[in-house]
Formats: sequence, structure tokens, C-alpha cells
Amino acid sequence: MSDLIFIAEEVSLVEKPEKKEPLGLLFWFCIGWIALNFVGAIFANVLPLQNPLYQDYNTINAAPSLHHLFGTDDIGRDIFARIVYGSRVSIAVGFGSMLIGYCIGAPLGMLAAYRRGRFDTIVTTIMYIFLAFPAIIATIAVLSFWTPRSVFKIIIVIGLASVPLVYRVIRTATLSISTKDFVVAAKVQGARDRRILMKELLPNIAPIGISFLLIGVATVIALEGTLAFLGLSVVVPTPSWGNMINESRTVLQQNPWLVIFPSLALCLFLLCLNFIGDRLRHHFDVTEVKL
Amino acid sequence: MSDNSEKLLVVDNLSTTFATAGGPLPAVSNVSFDLLGNETIGIVGESGSGKTVLSRTIMGLQPRTNVTVTGSVLLNGNQMANATERFKRELWGTEVAMVFQDPMTSLNPVVRIGKQIDETLRVRLGMSRQDAKARAIELLELVGIPSPAHRYNAYPGQLSGGMRQRVVIAIALACSPKLLMADEPTTGLDVTIQAQILNLLDELKERLHMSVVLVTHDLGVVATRTSRIIVMYAGRIVEVGATRDVFANHRMPYTRALLESSPKVSNASHTRLVTIPGRPPNLLKITDGCSFAPRCAYATEKCRTDRPELQPGAQPGHSFACWNPLPATRGVTAS
Repeated sequence: MSDLIFIAEEVSLVEKPEKKEPLGLLFWFCIGWIALNFVGAIFANVLPLQNPLYQDYNTINAAPSLHHLFGTDDIGRDIFARIVYGSRVSIAVGFGSMLIGYCIGAPLGMLAAYRRGRFDTIVTTIMYIFLAFPAIIATIAVLSFWTPRSVFKIIIVIGLASVPLVYRVIRTATLSISTKDFVVAAKVQGARDRRILMKELLPNIAPIGISFLLIGVATVIALEGTLAFLGLSVVVPTPSWGNMINESRTVLQQNPWLVIFPSLALCLFLLCLNFIGDRLRHHFDVTEVKL
Repeated sequence: MSDNSEKLLVVDNLSTTFATAGGPLPAVSNVSFDLLGNETIGIVGESGSGKTVLSRTIMGLQPRTNVTVTGSVLLNGNQMANATERFKRELWGTEVAMVFQDPMTSLNPVVRIGKQIDETLRVRLGMSRQDAKARAIELLELVGIPSPAHRYNAYPGQLSGGMRQRVVIAIALACSPKLLMADEPTTGLDVTIQAQILNLLDELKERLHMSVVLVTHDLGVVATRTSRIIVMYAGRIVEVGATRDVFANHRMPYTRALLESSPKVSNASHTRLVTIPGRPPNLLKITDGCSFAPRCAYATEKCRTDRPELQPGAQPGHSFACWNPLPATRGVTAS
């Protein structure tokens, strides 16, 4: 009997290769959460929020209440409003700088790994020289002189700093694929280099690229916080999740809410991103048959 | 042999030498042979005998650096040896195609098999999307894949090893090549599937009037499906001739050793498998003598100092490289 069931399953699998398990409730919750964050960031102006910069000295370090959902900080600003407005900077920096990193690092990494030879040696050497410098020091140096600071400039600087990291990951991923027989097979069918890069290599390294992208976004959002801590991020009082966490450290004992809510926002955002990435990769993985 | 006496492939004095840290490594030395239209030739030898390097050199698939190729490979009149990538790209697929050893790695795991066949058709033959799809399904049917229209959308991971190898063959045949290089096409497969794939290759060769170069270490594979056999050792041809002659009238002791080391059904069970004593020579330390001399029971002083050249045997087209050849009538029949 169990044999019969097994055979029946096998047949249905062969006949309907497209049928996949559903993505699950948690996945859609994560999608919803990320969407909510984006909506908040985009429409913060029109949403019925309090002014994130208004200092109400009558309610300092207030605990969460109906009037101040997440409480207030040490100079009486509404934390909820500041988190929603802060997501603008954090999300923009997170995705924007990784976009720059990928636009430069990914094509270079693929090309270097596929071409090898002198091109690979030269580009890899340059990238490793950049990697040898701590990225944070380079970013600090550039941002100290490039004033006045803006989100745009921060995105560019962090984006450029992430290029060698992206390059290294993509190059390694491509290297492991480019020696496989199917690449040679495509070549001896007369495929040109560009075609091999786009059609043979890219689909294979995309899952690795996306995983690293999500980790990268998380790292960059945290890095923006570090820069904020050093006073090198967006000019205060513009909020970002990073600088909210950093500002809270002086009043940690009197008002723990101040660190909990922005941290929670950051944490949930990154967790959801990673979960979505993981789930999607599993969902679209066609390399192994799921029995 | 075939009616078509036109030579499709002429390999002349071909040598492939790799520059390694230990010095030049002659992986293939002074190999010459030719192949007629619609003929199947077998290249046999142990691991490391240079048969894969030879087939890749004929394809023009050497690494970009640290390799020297001398001699000539004329494929339908086109010089493949030391040709530019651009020149070879025109011939790849349409004149010569290749079937790889391991169907697990020779298909792109994340692309539907139909698309992998389509690619070639659209890029090389300029077919429209619909035409290419129709042709791809035809090709899948040609290589014996059941319900091809359905399988068109399958990923390699959803197919068995034998099925994948059929797809690999379908891709190779997409642009109707005149020559098919099959480098150990059945090594990665189940024994029961091996025969199916070999029969398929044989059948397709007849139907499409191709020539096939079958590279293998398994004499059973070449026995019934080739018209001629080339036996390689240490990068050189040591014996070549019609399949019948190589099996029945071989003169080179190495060929005999190879034949004797394949298990036979007629043997009693638990018969100890015959092996060739010693190991293949280190090509970095090649001597002036016969490369097989250290492992050969018949070796004399001359074998160690002078290299034997190929000399003609009794039958037409049969030649061997040996100072002390086996008697001409000696025969070990194929299993």
C-alpha cells in the first residue's frame, strides 16, 4: 500500500512539475510588514503622525500611552513618529547603497571570474587593496570632508565601500560555476561570452547574490547607525533608526523604551527581509527534486 | 567501412603540451589519424592516457594559457588547431558538437531543458521562438524522451541520469553537426542505461549521417559500435586498426593487457580480475624508450632505449608500435 502511494506521488510529481508547496502564512506576514514599512516611509508626510521634531517639554521620557504610542524621548519627541520618519533614511541607505555596490561589484566579479587571466588579477588586486582598509575609516574620512551631509552622499559613500565585498562574493560564486561542464557545453554550441554570462552563469549565482544582498542591507542599516553615533550621518534632528538607537544610550537607565522601539523596528525589518529571501530561494530552487 | 570515403576529420602529427611547474608535460604526442564521414571511431586507453586531452584538442577546447598545440586538425577542411575563438565558434555546434561525461554537470541546473535546446537553435540558426520550440520538442522525441512536449518544461533536476544524457545529446544534435565527440558518454550512468545511450548514439549516427568519436576506457563500449579503434598509452597511439583486428589480431602487449583486464561473462564466478601491473607513467619523466616498457612482460633492452614507431600490421589499416609484437594469430575475443 505504501508503495502504491509512493508511486502515485511520483507520477503526480512528474506530471505536474510546476506544483509547489505554498509559501506559508509567515511569509505573507513578512511581506506585509516590509510593505507597511515602505508605505510608512513613503507617505510619512501625509499620515496622521505627530511632528517628529516637535519637542514637548511637558512629556519627557514618557512611557507608551494612547497619545504617544511608543512613548517620548528625553526631549519630549514622539518616538512612533520618529521611527516612521527614521525608516526613510534607514531604508534608503540600506537599499540605495547596496544597489550601488551591486551595480559596480557584481558585473566586475562575474567578468573577472569568467575571464580570469590578467583582467582578473588586476581587478582582484585592486579590490583586495580596498578591502585591506577598514571600510568604516574610509567612510569616516570621506564623510568628514564632504559636507554638508545628506542621505544621498551617505548612500554613495557606503555604496562605494561595499563594492569590494560584493565583488568578492560574486566572483567566488561565479568561479565555482564557470568551471562546470554546462558552461563548456554552451561554449561548444557556439554561445558567445555575453550569452554565457547572462544565461548560464547569472541564473546560477542569483540566489547567492540575493542572500548576500539582504545581509548587506542589514549590515548597511547598522553601519548607518554607527556613522550616526560618530555624528557623521544625516544631520540631527532628522531621525534614522541608527541615530535613534545611538541617542538613546545616554538615557538608557531612565527610559529603556527609547532603545527598545527603534531596535525592534530595525530587527523586525531585517528579520522579515531575511526570511523572505530564504523562503523565496527555497521556493524557486529547481536544482533538487522535492519528493 | 562506410561508402562515403570522404575524410571528415584529418588529425596530423598533433601534440598537446602543458607547461607545468615540473616542466613541459606532453599529454598528447604525435597523434595522426583520420575519420571518414558516417564512421564511428573508438579511442581507448587507461585514465591519464591522453584520450580526453586529445578529444578536447580536436574540439579546440584547450585552456587559454600554458598549453602548446602543434600539428594539424582538419575538420571538414577547417583548421581547428590554434584557430581563433571566433573561427571555432562558427564551427562549434554546426560542424562538431560534444557530449560530455557527466550529465549531472553538463546541463544548467536552473534552466528548463527545453530552453537549453532553444538557445542554440535561436542563436545559431536564427529560428523564431515558436519554430525553435517545435524543433526542440522534435529533438527531445528524436533522443527518445517520452512525452517531449511535457518534458520541455522540466528542469534537469526532475530527470534521471539517463534522461539527462539524452537531453545532452539532443542539445549536441541541435545544429546537425557532422562530427559528434562523445567523451566517455556513459561513464556517469547506470550500467543498464549505458547500452541504451550507446544504441541511441549508434542509431542517430545512421539516421543523421554523422561521424562519431567515442572516447572510453571500456572496451565493451567500443567493441560492437565502432569500425576502428585507436589504443592510446601515455599520450601516443600504440595500436590502431579495424575493430575486428584490434580485438582478434592485436600485436601490442598493452592492447592485450587492456583486453585481458576486462571481466568476461564466460569466466567462472570469483575469477580474480586481471590487472595491468604497475601504474601509468609520469608524463613529466618520459624516457626515450617505449612508455609501456616498465610494465611490459616482453620488454627488452631496446624497448627501454628506443621508442617504437607505428608499423603496419598484416591487415590493411592496422598498425602498432612495438619492438616485440605478439604473434599475429593470437586472439582474445571480445566479451
